[in-house]
Amino acid sequence: MEMDRESGKLEQIVSQFRSKILHVVLDSRVPSLHRHQQQDSLSLSRVRKTDKWFNLVLGDRPPALENLNFSLRNLLDPMVIDIILVRHASYSSSVDNLYAPSAAAAGPSTETVIERWVVQYDCPRVFATPSGAEAAVSYKKIYKKCIVLLRSLYTQMRLLPAYRIFRQLSSLNQTYNFDIVYKVSSFSHPFSREEEDGMKEYNFAPVEALPGCLCVSVIYHATLSDFNLEPLVSLPPKIITDYVGSPTTDPMRSFPSSERGAHATSFPFRGLRPPSSAPFQRPHSWSSGFHRGIPPTKTQSLAGSPPVYRTSPKPYDITPPPTDLYGNRIQNHRVSTLQQATAYDEYKLSPPFSPSASPSTPTYLSGANPLLTRHCSETAPVTIPLPPTGRSNRYLSPNSSDPSRHSLPPLSPRSSKHDTSSQESPSGIRSYRKIEALRAGESPSGLSNLYSAPKVVRDSKDDSGRFSGLLSSSGSPRIGFSRSSSRLSFQDDMDDCEFSCPFDVDDVDVSDSSSQNTENKRASEFTAQSNLIGKKSQDAAVGILVHMLRTAPPLRQDSSCYSTRSLRTEYEGGVGIASGFFMPRKTADALEELNSYREMKDLLLSKSGTQVVRKEGMK
Amino acid sequence: MNCEVCQLKELEVEHFEIREVLRCILHTIVFHRALGLVRPKDVDLELFEITYVQCGDVELEKKIDEKIDQFISWVEKHPNKKSQICLSFYEVKSKQPSWFTNKTERLYWEQWYVNLNVTQQPKQHSSKSHHTKVVVDPGESANEERSSRRAMVEASLREVLFQIIKFVNEKKDHVPPISEGVIYFPYEITMPRKFQ
Repeated sequence: MEMDRESGKLEQIVSQFRSKILHVVLDSRVPSLHRHQQQDSLSLSRVRKTDKWFNLVLGDRPPALENLNFSLRNLLDPMVIDIILVRHASYSSSVDNLYAPSAAAAGPSTETVIERWVVQYDCPRVFATPSGAEAAVSYKKIYKKCIVLLRSLYTQMRLLPAYRIFRQLSSLNQTYNFDIVYKVSSFSHPFSREEEDGMKEYNFAPVEALPGCLCVSVIYHATLSDFNLEPLVSLPPKIITDYVGSPTTDPMRSFPSSERGAHATSFPFRGLRPPSSAPFQRPHSWSSGFHRGIPPTKTQSLAGSPPVYRTSPKPYDITPPPTDLYGNRIQNHRVSTLQQATAYDEYKLSPPFSPSASPSTPTYLSGANPLLTRHCSETAPVTIPLPPTGRSNRYLSPNSSDPSRHSLPPLSPRSSKHDTSSQESPSGIRSYRKIEALRAGESPSGLSNLYSAPKVVRDSKDDSGRFSGLLSSSGSPRIGFSRSSSRLSFQDDMDDCEFSCPFDVDDVDVSDSSSQNTENKRASEFTAQSNLIGKKSQDAAVGILVHMLRTAPPLRQDSSCYSTRSLRTEYEGGVGIASGFFMPRKTADALEELNSYREMKDLLLSKSGTQVVRKEGMK
Repeated sequence: MNCEVCQLKELEVEHFEIREVLRCILHTIVFHRALGLVRPKDVDLELFEITYVQCGDVELEKKIDEKIDQFISWVEKHPNKKSQICLSFYEVKSKQPSWFTNKTERLYWEQWYVNLNVTQQPKQHSSKSHHTKVVVDPGESANEERSSRRAMVEASLREVLFQIIKFVNEKKDHVPPISEGVIYFPYEITMPRKFQ
């Protein structure tokens, strides 16, 4: 009985020792697992039972670890942890490849084991188990020595070459042409002679755990510079010379997207009848750019943009929204990203990557763009060609290439993101100007860097690494943070961009000369945001709605408001009404406006695809 | 009980590197001797691409920084000299109480000697000639020299850290038992000898 208890103790120590080592290794090498840990801020503060083992608080064990532990129950078998570097071939620059579900454009990946950790309890077949007080002392010593070994293993993880690339992958503001995955098994394929070249071995001093001893060793690549690991380069910003809005382009050009059934959704503008009752097919940049099959333009070509892997068959269709799980996660994440800019700086430096005494970023993680540059959607800096020539034509049609628009602040992200021939007016929504400013230097197409968006959201779901034998963990054998999270971030970027608040223009300079521009922008925003309502993140949608309601003109009839309201109605009507500059406001109009707000709210909150909202006739 | 002594490899550092280097080494040692419940805290050096681990104790961090400040003050007064900083771990044993003494005794069971050779960077001379010929840019060669020197220091520091890991792994028997509720063993940091 006593012997059983004692052998049980030893078994427990050995088992927990292996689990702890696995946790340390994977937490320091696999970005997705590490991020899983980082996300849960609550988990960082409390101490779990598993943390108390060997007095090393590491936080929650990822679920994958629990599965692994279960599968490697035979403690006498070695536990082999392979850290595998997956290098992606260079990508084609064609936009088509991004939309292609097949990974043909991705090219083959190369996998190399860059580290192999082996944990083994060497035990002779026949042994005498210590008993009584001797055993108790023995277990305490064993335990203490295991603690010391784990400390040194933890330290060494940070000194080996693979740690650096782990940190690179963990950084949120850059994407790379490689991934790190892992494989845990109870056996290992020996390295070939070629593989062994350039590898070093380190054996930790064994811990006597009578009747056997615990042995930990590592074989690792002494240098990773031969692997040509590099960040993915985004395209430099390019001026789109034929951007829609320029007088030289055809504002009514149709786009393939309209053939695929995506219709712009416009909101009823205070009861005014739209110019046409037909489905509104104004070729917006955001409506066209998100469909598959859009012929790649020069400005949309991407060099080295990552993700051709996609887990969803229709990543970029407007109509089918992302799955709720991803959508919700992305929405929440996007909102938090946009709203808590500084929080991500803190995130980057939070434990275990605490800053040194002087609060500067780690040297080998520096040089990247600010975090927010990667979190927000893309737009290109565009030239604003001509000064305003006059105001009377401004509200003729949302499609008109109104020169006056060019005097407005820079284009909204959606308008410049995907299609150079977009009709979107350079409505320069202020709320996105910040995003644009932060994304200086991004590609004009706006696609390449969307995949560098925070990887935290998807990774924990996608992660599993690779397992041999009886391991039952599911999931793809790759940890494809770049693929999956990029897709989601892309969609979320779309969401954020698409739903620009028409009343954001209140942030624009409020001088008289621009107030009419403001109203014009509002109306155009109203129309412009129609297409991708379904994908709008809920929180952002609510935020935008609140903002709209706050900045909406008062319902009561107030002569001071006439000028702005009348201009808006003028635009909404889509008719060039030169007269009627000041229109008295009626209750019906107000009711109409209220209804339109309600509809907008419903539309925002729903997650369905594009809806066609007929413009209601002006009563 | 034996007192295990480890003489760490000498590092040639410049004045502005002392603080980072000492923090890295001292915290790494203490982390291996803080056998109580710790939440490890990774710290990235600014001057070198090295991440070391602290045990996360604020009090400890403060004490180490104080000692480093003292060391730096001493170095400023004695430039271009080799110096040592000693981190010792001990057990407190009470002596036989008598009428006259009731002292406690420190039994040192481990000592680490950090050896530093603090150098001053020589000033660069301009290589301008009187005839205003093409001037060899002193800045570029100085930068190259600086970066190669920095790489050497980083490599040496890495070696020292590996040395610490090796030592703590090979010698474990002399480590006293862990007391309940104690995070790290009692320690002291001294500057025992200053020699040229």
